[in-house]
Amino acid sequence: MRILTLKVNGATHRVASEDSELLVDVLRERLGLTGTKKGCGAGECGACTVLLDGKLVNSCLLLAVQAQGKEITTIEGLSRQGKLHPVQEAFLATDAIQCGYCTPGMVLAAKTFLEEHGDFTESDLKREMAGNICRCTGYAKIIQAVKLAARGRGGGEWW
Amino acid sequence: MVVGTMIGSNVPNYDNYKKVTGKLKFVSDLNMQNALEMQILRSPHPHALIKKIDAGQALQVEGVKAVLTGAELGQAEVGPIVNDWPILARDRVYYAGEEVAAVCAIDKKTAAEAARLIEVDYEPLPAVLDYRLAMEAGQAQIRETSPKNIVTSFQVERGDVEKGLAASFLVKREVFETSSVYAAYLETNCCIVEYDNYKGEYTFWAATQVPYRAQRFYAQALGVSPGQVRIIQPPMGGGFGAKYEHNGHLIAALLSKKAGQAVRLWYEREEDFLAGSLRLPMQIDLTLGVDQQGIILAKKVHLIADNGARTLSGPVIMPTACFRVDSLYRMENICTEGYLVYSNTIPKGAMRGFGNAQMTFAMESLLDQIAAELNMDPMEIRKINAVEAGDITVHGWEIKSSGLRECIAQAAETADWNNKRKAKSKYHGIGLACCNHVSGYRPVLNEYDGSAARVKLIAGGYLLIENGDVEIGQGLKSTLAQIAAEVLQMPLEKIKVLDVDTEVTPYGIGTLATRGTMMAGNAVKIAAEKLLAELKEIAAELLSCEINELEAKDGKMVCSSGELDYAALAAEVITRQKGCALSAEGWFDPQTVIPDANKYGNPSPSYPFAAHIAEVEVDPDTGQVTICTYIAAHDVGKAICPSRVEGQIQGGVVQGLGWTLLEKLVEDAGTLVNNNFLDYRIPTFLDTPEKLTPLIVEPGDPVGPFGAKGVGEPAINPVVAAITNAIYDATGVRITRLPVAPEELKNLIGGKS
Repeated sequence: MRILTLKVNGATHRVASEDSELLVDVLRERLGLTGTKKGCGAGECGACTVLLDGKLVNSCLLLAVQAQGKEITTIEGLSRQGKLHPVQEAFLATDAIQCGYCTPGMVLAAKTFLEEHGDFTESDLKREMAGNICRCTGYAKIIQAVKLAARGRGGGEWW
Repeated sequence: MVVGTMIGSNVPNYDNYKKVTGKLKFVSDLNMQNALEMQILRSPHPHALIKKIDAGQALQVEGVKAVLTGAELGQAEVGPIVNDWPILARDRVYYAGEEVAAVCAIDKKTAAEAARLIEVDYEPLPAVLDYRLAMEAGQAQIRETSPKNIVTSFQVERGDVEKGLAASFLVKREVFETSSVYAAYLETNCCIVEYDNYKGEYTFWAATQVPYRAQRFYAQALGVSPGQVRIIQPPMGGGFGAKYEHNGHLIAALLSKKAGQAVRLWYEREEDFLAGSLRLPMQIDLTLGVDQQGIILAKKVHLIADNGARTLSGPVIMPTACFRVDSLYRMENICTEGYLVYSNTIPKGAMRGFGNAQMTFAMESLLDQIAAELNMDPMEIRKINAVEAGDITVHGWEIKSSGLRECIAQAAETADWNNKRKAKSKYHGIGLACCNHVSGYRPVLNEYDGSAARVKLIAGGYLLIENGDVEIGQGLKSTLAQIAAEVLQMPLEKIKVLDVDTEVTPYGIGTLATRGTMMAGNAVKIAAEKLLAELKEIAAELLSCEINELEAKDGKMVCSSGELDYAALAAEVITRQKGCALSAEGWFDPQTVIPDANKYGNPSPSYPFAAHIAEVEVDPDTGQVTICTYIAAHDVGKAICPSRVEGQIQGGVVQGLGWTLLEKLVEDAGTLVNNNFLDYRIPTFLDTPEKLTPLIVEPGDPVGPFGAKGVGEPAINPVVAAITNAIYDATGVRITRLPVAPEELKNLIGGKS
């Protein structure tokens, strides 16, 4: 057991953890941040997606100890003072959520995609987000959500 | 904010805000402090005797709280339909993956470590690995009580099929094989159980689509009264039919009892594949005879369906495959024989489509073949045979509404069907398939089908809805809230729908058979109407007006002499009823029947229909199939929320294309080898059709709430045949086995050119 110092959503946490513990488990079980989901434990489904220094990672493929010294952003850290991120608003507006289990990872992936791409084709979108699996929606409304959020970009507090 | 009438409006899905912020607690998110984690030890053999189990070493591991083996279980085998669940293996195992022992410990790692230390001596037995051969002489008989490995059989005959065939202008016969499929819901099965030592009672927080059925069955299996089993159903990450009563839940319960602590069951993904239930694979030998116009004169079926090693819903699924499609088209002469067989493989159970999806593939493929031979437009052969509203079908099913023709017409127009068919470009093709389904299915429970609801007006004029049917992500809570909002003319935002809890919500059959909107929706509508009537009585008194002068509007009772909002009325009632809130109960009884001994009788209040058209491009060098456009037209009676209906259609189509083109469970000597998301490919963004167009057809319905029927399962039923019929149009190759194997398709194309 060691004490890790993890910076999550802007707050510093000191948490006891075994060296072998995965980041996803430490976030969920030790820090109670259950917004990050666990769908496969093998980096195949994207449900465990978090941001590490702004980059998308599968938190089930990282040891918690590897995340020390980095800025971790989970779905809980996306909204600001109760105001939803435009990507979150877009998911609501397009009804792109059914069971909701893939949603946290999907939202983070969409946010990152929109930050990294100016103009894009649907093909670009599909390819870049292929690491996030959804079994309920057939992806159609999620694609609509990303396109909707894309139109709202252009300065402001979020972009 | 919703403008105008509630029904037919796109409204935010219930709990969407919590889902998009990660705040919604799914069952695997629940923090049960002090809950132990568990690990199940599974058989590596598909069929074997257990000579000895030695769990001694496991018990020595520090942090282990209890170890359980079958030897400690007193009861005989149990089961929701057939008593063939040992819970933990007794003297033999029946499939590679079957539960042999279980450990609970302070954490998952410890439990897994301990489980690995349990020693089991097996003596392998000959296994039945191919369900198609299970009834053949020479195959091992897996269970003493099931000669020829038959779990159950089903026969139905109408008219004179031989006469019908003899009178046919064209008779076509084909054997189709549909594959097993893994539901691949994103949250694996999860359940927390806490045993109360003092009262001998169990509380489950369980991912299950059938909480009340589970309550009754688990009570029986655990040897207690159902009143000693409480099942709370928290939000869950998908079900698709594969989360009904679950053996793992029982193991968790028994561990909790033994350890004296709450226990959490939460499968790793690889294990979830093995824990059952997979879609029933079927071999369907189908013969159709038609006259010169393509009218169906005879239908003959011989069907074998795989039950797997123990019985889930097979006894209802196999008959469904046998005869549900007979009420899609008009037919008189039928002879159907179906067999459900044991095999030493992972248990097979319900999955979206429930046998009708399997048979629809066969039916729609064979009709397509017949159309081709008669030089007929595939659309025409459907139209000429389609059931109509007002029909009573050959099995006594009452078609109270049908938008099938409209679905075909709209799909064809949107797809530019006529022109596309004429185009005939190489390796580019278009295909059509139709389907029917039910909106609830009476044979699921002997006593009745239907639903009950309670609505309660609480402080602030908020409404609580209590109903026992289940939200699995399909949007049932939203539908119920919308219906109540419409009846009571109150803001949707002020409506709360409780999670199912067997000690709080009224009894519900659960979410299956595409029944939610029809049954629960109607129950809520009836309950809300009762509440409205009571509100009017009180308001009339307080406002000194006649009841018929009152109008419900914006959460208020309004008349010429004044208005009272629901908050004020709620407060008034609490005073009048000395603390008892205003509530009303309603139930909906669809007046359906369990078909009689001759399989005759109307089992569902109304039937939804659909027509799908797929346009594909096949690469002759690789056999890869790309879906260019896909049109799915659905008769839903009335769309309570069009966006939600679209979502179901889109999800069903993509699941269907996964089944057709991508998903293949691979076994090696009875062991599943690709039980992970890398090797079992479910559709990603990259696999979606270039253009997917859902179309909603609304003929209304006399029974459904505001005329609504269901859409969940119809969304997948026609997908397979729409794609494979398009593949035929593109290449001349008929697909009769699933999934489509690119290598095989490429070779067959090569053979044709």
